[in-house]
Amino acid sequence: MRAVRLLLLVFLLGAPPGRADSLRYEFLLLPSASAVGTFERRAGNTQIHDEVVQADLLLTLQKGPFKLFGEYLVSDHEGDLERFQLGWQLSDDTVLWIGRFHQPTSVWNHDHHHGQYLQTSITRPDIDEWEDLGGVLPQHFTGVLAESGATVMRSWWLRTAVAGGIAPQITAEGLEPFDLLRPDSNRHQLGYQARVSLHPGQFSESGAGIVLAQDDLTGVELTSPELIGFDHAQVRLAGLFATYAGAKWKATSAVYYADTRLYYTGSRGNDRFVVGYIQAERRLPHNLTGFARWEDSAGTGNSPYLHLFERFARSRRVAGLRWDFVQRQALTVQFANTLKFAGHYTDIRLQWSAAFF
Amino acid sequence: MERGILLNMRRALQLFMLLCLVSQTCAASHTLVLVVRADSKVTDLDSLTVRKLFLGLPVLVDGSLLHPVRNRSDKELDPIFLQQIVAMSQSAYDRQILNGVNRQGWLRPAEVNTASRILETLYADPNTVTFMWLHEVAHNPRVRVLRVLWSN
Repeated sequence: MRAVRLLLLVFLLGAPPGRADSLRYEFLLLPSASAVGTFERRAGNTQIHDEVVQADLLLTLQKGPFKLFGEYLVSDHEGDLERFQLGWQLSDDTVLWIGRFHQPTSVWNHDHHHGQYLQTSITRPDIDEWEDLGGVLPQHFTGVLAESGATVMRSWWLRTAVAGGIAPQITAEGLEPFDLLRPDSNRHQLGYQARVSLHPGQFSESGAGIVLAQDDLTGVELTSPELIGFDHAQVRLAGLFATYAGAKWKATSAVYYADTRLYYTGSRGNDRFVVGYIQAERRLPHNLTGFARWEDSAGTGNSPYLHLFERFARSRRVAGLRWDFVQRQALTVQFANTLKFAGHYTDIRLQWSAAFF
Repeated sequence: MERGILLNMRRALQLFMLLCLVSQTCAASHTLVLVVRADSKVTDLDSLTVRKLFLGLPVLVDGSLLHPVRNRSDKELDPIFLQQIVAMSQSAYDRQILNGVNRQGWLRPAEVNTASRILETLYADPNTVTFMWLHEVAHNPRVRVLRVLWSN
């Protein structure tokens, strides 16, 4: 299998259109360090195990229209190959990827990925949380991703992304994506996603769009008595999102509607829930940015699917201040109040984050 | 008397010609042009494509990726680059470049600090696209001017 992948890589990087071009590369390091304190704890399981120190390493190798793009995250509790994509630039605005990618229907992750410096708040909305930090929606897939853009209605810009690939599985610890470095032999099912958004211009962050997904998640090694006979879950997702990015104000919002079905041996259960958030950011003098986010949900209390993940936050209020004290380095302080199935808690976080080429 | 008038007219004409020459030289030294290697496949790039290129977005010509080089050999070039070429502030440009690398694995434009190094880069790679002062490339047979980007 490794030899096949290597041959494919050599073939693509040595193919005629790329042969005339020199090999180019780009490296980006996004380190961060944070301290977390929780108080007013009424929940037994609070989210205090976030990484304290982490380094996100991104590397691109490009030869002609072909490129290899990788993201490796090292932290005080993990080291994971988060993205590993072989890309073919079909035209200026269309690229076809194969490999492990972040699925395009997560509004937050599609924009920020793992780089802490590139997001204003310290934490992300819980509905877009990574699998290993208690996330309830699958984020990492291994398969094919096609991204494209085109001018529509004279000057507007339409962005599209469609993807399909091996979906994460549900384990006793939560969702677990397919690991390229340590592949398992468990049964994996597939997931498909699509995202369409319209923007006032090609370079504009402002815009609005829709996302659609259907992901089948196999249950593996679930020993809990209530999950005896559980085979897999199907998550159907539809969402709307909008972003306004002005000179002083920025606002990002997303609403997801999920229809989940749990398949047991001889029976089936299903439920529906809605989760959404809105984050507002205001640029202030002295390179300061104030931000606030409101996350909320409906229909989550009785969702058997969400009860598979103990750490899901049903609602959360976040507020904070970021200070970009030198170029590409920032200090952020954030307060949050979170309600989980088992109770609520308040936390305060302090973070240093940076970006280095 | 007539001879004196003729002499004055001659002097005025000479002064006028001198002023024209000086103004032309000044204009040439403050005209920024987009350049490629003389044998490059690139024949024309509109301002939107130039903006895309220097924001780090991929631009293909005949299946070959163009390689933008940001000229930083002169401090005067930075504000012109930000205002006329990429049309954004330094912080917005920085963020755009970081987002491009993080989201799409785009390559940021190379930055070169001397005119001689820029010419070397240009001579070595037919896919390089850069910008230089007109007086630095005028009459250079190895360089082709694609368009004027800015002039005072």
